[in-house]
Amino acid sequence: MARIELKDIQKSWGAVKGVSDVNIDIEDEEFIVFLGPSGCGKTTTMRMIAGLEDPSEGAIVMDGETMNEIDARDRDVAMVFQGYALYPNMTIYENIRFPLRMRGVPKDQHDAKVRRAAEFVELTDYLDRKPGALSGGQRQRAALARAIVRQPQVFLMDEPLSNLDAKLRQAMRVQIKHIQRELKITTVYVTHDQIEAMTLADRIVIMEKGAIQQIGTPDQIYNDPANTFVAAFIGSPPMNLVEGTLEGGVFRAPGIAVENLSTRHSGQVTLGVRPEDCTVTGIPTHLSGTVYGVEPTGDVTYLTVKAGDKLIEVKADRDYRATLNTPETVTFDLTRIYLFDTATGQRLR
Amino acid sequence: MASQRKKSKGENLALRYLILGGWALFCLAPVLWFLSIGLRPRTEIITPQPIYFPSFSLDAWHMIWSDWPMGQYLRNSVAAIIGSVIIDLVLAIPAAYSLSRFTYKGREDIGFYILSTRMMAPAIVAVPIFFLFRNLGLLDTIWALMLIYAAINLSFVTWIIRSYMLDIPKELEDAAKTDGAGELRILWEIIIPAILPGIITASVIAMIFAINEFLFTLLIASTPDAYTMSVALSNFTGGSDGVIYNAIALVAFLAFVPVFLVVVAIQKHLSRGLTMGAVKG
Repeated sequence: MARIELKDIQKSWGAVKGVSDVNIDIEDEEFIVFLGPSGCGKTTTMRMIAGLEDPSEGAIVMDGETMNEIDARDRDVAMVFQGYALYPNMTIYENIRFPLRMRGVPKDQHDAKVRRAAEFVELTDYLDRKPGALSGGQRQRAALARAIVRQPQVFLMDEPLSNLDAKLRQAMRVQIKHIQRELKITTVYVTHDQIEAMTLADRIVIMEKGAIQQIGTPDQIYNDPANTFVAAFIGSPPMNLVEGTLEGGVFRAPGIAVENLSTRHSGQVTLGVRPEDCTVTGIPTHLSGTVYGVEPTGDVTYLTVKAGDKLIEVKADRDYRATLNTPETVTFDLTRIYLFDTATGQRLR
Repeated sequence: MASQRKKSKGENLALRYLILGGWALFCLAPVLWFLSIGLRPRTEIITPQPIYFPSFSLDAWHMIWSDWPMGQYLRNSVAAIIGSVIIDLVLAIPAAYSLSRFTYKGREDIGFYILSTRMMAPAIVAVPIFFLFRNLGLLDTIWALMLIYAAINLSFVTWIIRSYMLDIPKELEDAAKTDGAGELRILWEIIIPAILPGIITASVIAMIFAINEFLFTLLIASTPDAYTMSVALSNFTGGSDGVIYNAIALVAFLAFVPVFLVVVAIQKHLSRGLTMGAVKG
């Protein structure tokens, strides 16, 4: 429905920089997720696309047309908000109908469109209720219906599931993805939840401190992180990051020695390895330490090993058990080892 | 044990009713006192001995309606008050919207300036206002009363409504903007319905102030054409008949009744409104 280009976007309030040097091309019909911690600038970037904030510098282009000077109400975007933002004085029917009235859609089409949107989110039985009489999940679906009712060019979703419980969130996630695929509407989705990002996105934009850290598909982000921020942000439990020295293809840190690394770099580096790429072997190979904690979860057991003053998380077999403070050894999958420059945090390739 | 607890619970409830009933009687006592004076013969009121079983008389009731244009006073009061509240709302709602939602230089100063007009002693501006209305040819008219009541109440009506607007989540307006609504639409369809309890609260308070206003009404109204209930009261004092206490009491009661009825009718909104502006929900 629409292609969006963000060109050198900056946003600052006086001396405070909210967003800097954001450059993204969002493809038509793409589902793109802005992911990052609170205050990273993801919502501000989305609000600039909506027209609710003006960029201090740069251009927002939709289908070749620069949107900077165009009011929010004249951009063909629909937004779903974290707090639902349903109009409390109107029934759900009137809430869903509101954008149709505002955009001058002929009156005789309203009823059919409202009912179709309500059907899409399975809300037809609640149309005559006020938002206050609905549960959180129903309100969120009403907000979704209001966004899809007029088939905008772009969907913007600002943490739409963060007020829902885990079970409902999972169900809504599936519904959102289904609706987006069905309607084929370019969607920008903001979240701090990596599971939401990984499951929903065609591409993820990871942001921190107002700047983009990496753009890529969920697989690229997970398997090929650009820096230590991305490496540590994605994955649960997160990637283990150990600072040490690299000399002649050998990485050393207290309790850890990894040989035969195919790299031309040397000096102070950070080694990254995901918990699922570590194996408890019983043979001293890469890590020798003591058992610090064992957390059985049913399908997997998380083992924490202390090596030097560093705690290393290992995804062990579901039946793995160990006594605290006993020695333990761990082997890393050398094909899935990541090296980062300790000073800059950037990936060493 | 259970019966003891039940008994003490019952006693507790009785005590609560006793305290609340006592307080209600204390608050209503002046009103009931007015009514009891107003419905007694004049001779009984001015007698030095206390009368424990007063006799009932509608003399004062008949007198205020036959000897005085009480209907006109009431009409004048109602017209001036309703007119002033409408003027206040028409001016205060957009002003409050601007003060609460738009960012511009001097916004806080303008807000404070609006409030500061309320801090002035009314007597200071009495004479200039008299000349102003005389030059405008509005002396002794209901229009002048509407304007002056509106002017007196405008500052706090603006501030009350502003505080309610500040409590409305910004997300609602953002949603309306992306749905395609302009500023006036947002104000009319989203903001005003959301702050209705606040608008009602501000209106009732403005009505109470207006019905009790005396100084400017006396200054501007010089004939029954513009007399309101508050000035009518002063007509029953002095003159060849002396002070007519039972008529005064009855007129005071009549002035009280409309406001009382309005407050009872909108009680639910009023109590919600008085707290909503103060606490973020």
